[in-house]
Amino acid sequence: MVRVFSTPSCPYCAALKSFLKEHNIEFKDIDVAQDLEAQKEMIEKSGQYEVPVVDIDGEIIVGFNQERIKQLLKI
Amino acid sequence: MIYDLIIIGGGPGGITAGIYAARKKLKTLLITKEWGGQVIKANEIENWPGTKKISGTDLIKQMTEHLKKFEIEIKEGKEVIDLDKKGDNFFVRDNDQEYEAKAVILATGKIPRTLNIPGEEEFKGKGVSFCATCDAPLFKDKEVAVIGGGNAGFDTAMDLVKYAKKIYVLEFLEEMKGDPITKEKLAQTGKVEFITNVAVKAIKGKKPAPYRAEGSGSGFVESLIYEDRKTSEDHEIKIDGVFISIGMMPKVGFAQKLVELNKIGEIVIDKDNYTKTPGVFAAGDITDIKYEQIVIAAGEGAKAALAATEYLKNK
Repeated sequence: MVRVFSTPSCPYCAALKSFLKEHNIEFKDIDVAQDLEAQKEMIEKSGQYEVPVVDIDGEIIVGFNQERIKQLLKI
Repeated sequence: MIYDLIIIGGGPGGITAGIYAARKKLKTLLITKEWGGQVIKANEIENWPGTKKISGTDLIKQMTEHLKKFEIEIKEGKEVIDLDKKGDNFFVRDNDQEYEAKAVILATGKIPRTLNIPGEEEFKGKGVSFCATCDAPLFKDKEVAVIGGGNAGFDTAMDLVKYAKKIYVLEFLEEMKGDPITKEKLAQTGKVEFITNVAVKAIKGKKPAPYRAEGSGSGFVESLIYEDRKTSEDHEIKIDGVFISIGMMPKVGFAQKLVELNKIGEIVIDKDNYTKTPGVFAAGDITDIKYEQIVIAAGEGAKAALAATEYLKNK
């Protein structure tokens, strides 16, 4: 499962999400400005105060790291 | 393999240079760390002719799709760390590889200016942020510092007042430089404390856990040390986040051997985008041209590619 932790005004989050859509990857978009439980989980798991964070089957990627995302999703 | 032209940078300048170079049938390589640069941060662009309103992300998407239609080699996600000249040719190096070309165009634009103090790099993403629009919601009910009392710093503070419980705005000079009307708005929230005449000296915290370590909930920013420039006394304030908003700087370090820089570190070019080294051209915000606009950077990219074409023909 792919989860994207994002905030509404973050440009890199938007770029990341449109990248996933372009490659027809289904993902759950979590707005951590609203969902504070998810925000806590994101900060703990990533060790970062930074969005976007992507969770690909438990593998955590900080930032819009296109190469790493492509690798994990095999696209 | 020797390229005719290597373009460094994937913003409007680099992309347009790529389109023009490919149409001139130059054997071209474009290397970029990311697409769009500062444009990505623009929510609404209303001065790109032919398009009434578009987001930065969408505009860059259109530009890169347009570029990729042409015959041009592209390396994405690569950061150029060195540019040198040996004989007649230029050598461009990223972290993995070296490439050779007869001419280069520098179009790496500007990036947020850094403080260059202890802790800044170490705690990046661990409390130190350069993007309040992105990260402000993560500092709900926390205490934060904004470095820079200009309009950029004030905008950062405005993004933060919705979330943080206390915001220090620190300014190096004697007075805040941002608009008084915004300052008043910030003051009215009762959350903002303005401190002038300070030199920020260090950002402190527990040693960060290794990247992506499981349960690495520790290792975040805890405080900041600044010197009161009047009394020369050091002060420590407890904060959870530091937002650095002290303007932009040209991303030019890798090319310094071959170009001349002006006082603020921009590459000096002539009207045809030549730098001091023949064969090295520059375009967009990285140069000393006065106005920094998407349409101007694109135009400068086109000019640089045409100048490079002519240079290669006459070589």
